[in-house]
Amino acid sequence: MKRYASIFATFARACLVRDMTFRVNFLLECVTSIGWMSMNLAFYLLIFTFTPEIGLHTGWTREPFFAFVATGLIINSIVQALFMPSAEELTEMVRSGGLDGVLVQPLDAQFLLSMHRVDFSAFANGFIGIGLLAWAIVRMDATPTPLAWLLYPLLIVCGVAILYSLVIMLAAATILMGRNQSLYDFWFYLTNFSRYPAEIYAGPWGSPLRTLCTFVIPILLVVNVPARVIAMPLEGQAVGMVLAPMIAAAASLALSRVVFLAAISRYRSASS
Amino acid sequence: MHNSNDKRTCGDALGEPSLIAVTGLAKDYRVYDKPEGLLASVTGLFHRTSRLVEALKGVSLTVGRGEFVALLGPNGAGKTTFLKLLSGIITPTRGTARVLGHVPWERADDFRRRFALVMGQRNQLWWDLPAAESFRLHKEIYRIDTPRFERTRDELVDLLGVRPLLLQPVRELSLGERMKLELVAALLHEPEVLFLDEPTIGLDVVAQHTLHTFLSHVQTERQMTVVLTTHYMKDVAALCERVVVITHGDILYDGSLGDIVDRFTTHKIVTLDLDDTPSHERMAGFGFPYEIRGPQVILRIDRARIADVLPDILRSQSVRDVSVEDVPLEEIVAELFRSGESPATARFAEALP
Repeated sequence: MKRYASIFATFARACLVRDMTFRVNFLLECVTSIGWMSMNLAFYLLIFTFTPEIGLHTGWTREPFFAFVATGLIINSIVQALFMPSAEELTEMVRSGGLDGVLVQPLDAQFLLSMHRVDFSAFANGFIGIGLLAWAIVRMDATPTPLAWLLYPLLIVCGVAILYSLVIMLAAATILMGRNQSLYDFWFYLTNFSRYPAEIYAGPWGSPLRTLCTFVIPILLVVNVPARVIAMPLEGQAVGMVLAPMIAAAASLALSRVVFLAAISRYRSASS
Repeated sequence: MHNSNDKRTCGDALGEPSLIAVTGLAKDYRVYDKPEGLLASVTGLFHRTSRLVEALKGVSLTVGRGEFVALLGPNGAGKTTFLKLLSGIITPTRGTARVLGHVPWERADDFRRRFALVMGQRNQLWWDLPAAESFRLHKEIYRIDTPRFERTRDELVDLLGVRPLLLQPVRELSLGERMKLELVAALLHEPEVLFLDEPTIGLDVVAQHTLHTFLSHVQTERQMTVVLTTHYMKDVAALCERVVVITHGDILYDGSLGDIVDRFTTHKIVTLDLDDTPSHERMAGFGFPYEIRGPQVILRIDRARIADVLPDILRSQSVRDVSVEDVPLEEIVAELFRSGESPATARFAEALP
């Protein structure tokens, strides 16, 4: 474990050196991503000029909702910074045969393929998310309990683990298919569902979607549970709610490992 | 032409266990045909036709410690597939292999720490960073302790004269410079087995020569086992004692480089520089006049007759200069490759031990 941490630190250092080599590009990426995020926040502010709450009696008033958005920003920035760059590069590596060089190295291939690139500019949104969370919590009626503060980072880790598992399974599909340029698009469509409170998925169309995105592809547990824990008082159902992402994270990680190993064993390599 | 380094002998011959032992190794690929035209492409979405390609048809081979083996063969013969199987990158359809006591495609860390693979057409260094950064990463991945890392890096870098390039981004380097640094990276963890897939492809003659000298030196010093695929006979002549010829996924020849010349050529090339321009008929009495350009004559003479014919020529002609050479290796190997595509294969197969 220590060795892997040390190798990851070396990867991160190399990526930082590379990012600093292309400073303007790095700054542009930060600015673009903060700009996009600011537009989203402005849009949400606009919504709250029309309604005091997202859904009747859901509890998602302005400040809790911004705590929700902040949680999403933090989780997504971690995934975007640590895992997405490597997963996106995998498509090209499979097509060009660059994966060969990874498979001969004495390291776990899944670790190497999912963490060898770090996009530091993606952390920019995470920092904004932390600021937004602080702003929302200070203005909320109820202050989070010590237990909520304890659970929040743990549930963030679970959310990241669920998203990471999805990324890895999509990347594994790249290995099996030889080419999967829609990886990022598919990822975007999937994670779109996690960007809003689960309560909006109601009615004849919403309920099945909520069931699907909670129990089959547990994308709704990623942001909803940590956001609810930090933004709303914990009630009777809290144990089940808190355990669900933990179980989902463990199951997702296990499944992604199986899928990844199966994909690697079927790797054909590219002609030289 | 032949390398006389007596250290490069087969481990089996010395009674040592083989570092590489392969039995009946085969790899089949299912290839899907892409029909031409829009309609056919749409139909192909629902029904695809495929065929089985046998990239390797059951190869058996052993390689001992300290051997430098060349894998020769035309494009698509299965050389790179063979190296990929030995490196554990792909899994075979049939057959067994053990490299350094491990089944390669199980990809045990202990196995992967003890070999290296360099592919001439692939870049394994970080493209945007200086090679020194990739070396640092390599140190962590292979768990090389700092004193050993620094000693090995300095030794390799100085041997190849690439110290000034260490801090330059890899994307700014020439192909030859990149390949030298790729080799340094591959050898940093002091592998016992080195797989080289066309390492000199696209390099100029000076860079090729530098790599030959370097590889020869390092291989001898470290008693490393090297398996090399190449299309350049200069690589083979400079480095390898043993040659394995693969065509269509099968081994066509496995033996010493000297043996190829002895067994598969029936004549020698004699180049004469005469005082006058001879006629075709005058020269035909000694052998086959391959080329007559003014007073310079190139004759192909039967190997069995060379000892008799050469004194005759020197006695009867005014010879200013003479040289006797084997048929160029390229020609012999090209003939071997061609024989693998025709019924003449049997001729070579019969000649095999």
